[in-house]
Amino acid sequence: MSIYLLQVINGVGIGMLYFLLAVGLSIVFGLLRFVNFAHGAFYLLGAYFCFQMTRWGMSFWLALLVVPVVVGAVGWLVEKLVLRHVYDKPHEFHILVTVGLALVVQELVIVQWGPLGDNVPVPDLLQGVVMWGNFVYPKYRLFVIAFTAVLAVGLWYLLEGTRLGSAVRAGSESTEMVSLLGINVFRIFSLVFALGAATAALAGVLAAPIRGAEPFMGIEALGVAFVIVVVGGLGSFGGALVGGLLIGIVQSVMSTVWPEGARLMIYIVMAAVLLLLPHGLMGRKA
Amino acid sequence: MNAMRKHFHLWLALAFVVAMPLTLRSGSLASEVLIFGLAAMGCNLLLGYTGLLSFGQGIFFGLGSYTIALTLTRWPLPMPLALAAAVGMGALGAALVGWIAIRQRGTYFVMLTLAFAQMFYFLAYSFPGLTGGDNGLLDIPRPSIAVAGHTLWPLVSPWQYYGFVAVVFLVTFWFLQKASNSIFGRTLLAVRDNEERAGAIGYNLKLLKLQAFVISGAVTGLAGALHAMMTGIAPLSSAEYHTSEMILVMTVIGGTGNLLASLLGSAFYVLLGDWLSTLWPRWLLLLGVVLIIVSLGMQRGLWGLGQTLWSLVRRKQPAAAAPPSVGEKA
Repeated sequence: MSIYLLQVINGVGIGMLYFLLAVGLSIVFGLLRFVNFAHGAFYLLGAYFCFQMTRWGMSFWLALLVVPVVVGAVGWLVEKLVLRHVYDKPHEFHILVTVGLALVVQELVIVQWGPLGDNVPVPDLLQGVVMWGNFVYPKYRLFVIAFTAVLAVGLWYLLEGTRLGSAVRAGSESTEMVSLLGINVFRIFSLVFALGAATAALAGVLAAPIRGAEPFMGIEALGVAFVIVVVGGLGSFGGALVGGLLIGIVQSVMSTVWPEGARLMIYIVMAAVLLLLPHGLMGRKA
Repeated sequence: MNAMRKHFHLWLALAFVVAMPLTLRSGSLASEVLIFGLAAMGCNLLLGYTGLLSFGQGIFFGLGSYTIALTLTRWPLPMPLALAAAVGMGALGAALVGWIAIRQRGTYFVMLTLAFAQMFYFLAYSFPGLTGGDNGLLDIPRPSIAVAGHTLWPLVSPWQYYGFVAVVFLVTFWFLQKASNSIFGRTLLAVRDNEERAGAIGYNLKLLKLQAFVISGAVTGLAGALHAMMTGIAPLSSAEYHTSEMILVMTVIGGTGNLLASLLGSAFYVLLGDWLSTLWPRWLLLLGVVLIIVSLGMQRGLWGLGQTLWSLVRRKQPAAAAPPSVGEKA
């Protein structure tokens, strides 16, 4: 029994990371119905920038602070220089341009850091495990849960409590209406896109000491993020949280029951939700 | 006029098929161009003619590969029948995926095809008894075409195999060209351009989309089978996201809405890849850039670029010479 409890808690750890990974994808979609296949690429950049900074001898904490800002700026530039010019094109080219971007980032990473993975050490402060009686849990994973929880509250406030947030939420209901009210939706979209890139990068930084940095983690993360966003509901903050935790726990528990089938399961869940509840568990009906 | 153009394209395809042995040194490379040309045409039928962006083409490609591997090794069938079985499995897979995926539209449809592609990959991975798991299926033979013990067409050397692939390609091209110029093909275009209107007129949208899916799956399954026979293996990687992405990229770079454009896209991808990968292993970087450029500024792909240049040479307005573009409407 305790093995399952441990797996559930492990799943919460993975799930909080998944939430962070998926929330940006979800908000970006919500505002302009823009499906960003390059979202995994920002996660990938986050992990590799963290790796590079720690290799230069800088502290992990500095990376945690700097990398999201840098990748957020990259996202902002990409939106200004590339994506901006595709909005008036047919829908499929929105997807294809980001597929191209993801490919470019992945190959640039391989050019710079090689095709094999690299390890990122766990910061000294968080080495080792926490013990409460029989219960043993790595300190670093506990930190990830706490940190992302705080971050989730901050993001929630940003979306629910600020003017920017209300514009974003209104924009996901009706982009047209919001622009008619005199709000520049495209400027907000630039900001939201940068924020999405920054949160994905933050997930990459946090994941790096757990699973290392390797060039194909971006594609893998993209697949998982899609599942979460679909299960939770496209464009919904709460959906990303619920979906992330759910998928994290399912995957973690399944990995003891039927390891090969763990991934298969989550995609079956995704297809089922798409068919039965196309707006997800928490999504608003269009 | 329409009939003229139809035959014109078939002649162009024939000229292309004949020109490759004269210019390329490797028979395998030439075969690969035609095989991925088939896969791209299958994708094009969905994207260019019906307006369905499918990330699931790797499923049908993989199904074709696995089917021919199993039917040639474990449950020996004569090669033509094995090939037919692969086509059938591709069509069946597409019917299943299509039947479910077309219940949703737009983004939800795209994501469903992606979910199915991942599902198929992990299915193939989880059942190594059937698919060989991580290793894939190996030692697929390439039997010659024989009737009652007499070898009619040996398929031993790469160029002999190319000849066989070329015949299969041309027959498929002719069939797809005929289908896309038929009333069925024109109706698909109506669905692509304005789904609401096509539905309001009374067309059965789901049936039309499903038919397009089945044809696309059959052709892609055929491509997967031919590829497995060429390389002798049916690897797990043919079921990966990467395969779906590759087929899609070829189709888009070539240009949508025209079948020859898919052959152009495949030739561009395969030949550029072969040439660049020895010089610079990260050539996919360049491909990503091309994909971005096509998405931003030349939605009709290389084919559209060719048309524009051609009409410039003939000093005409580009818009006048180019037939109603495909990418720009949708």
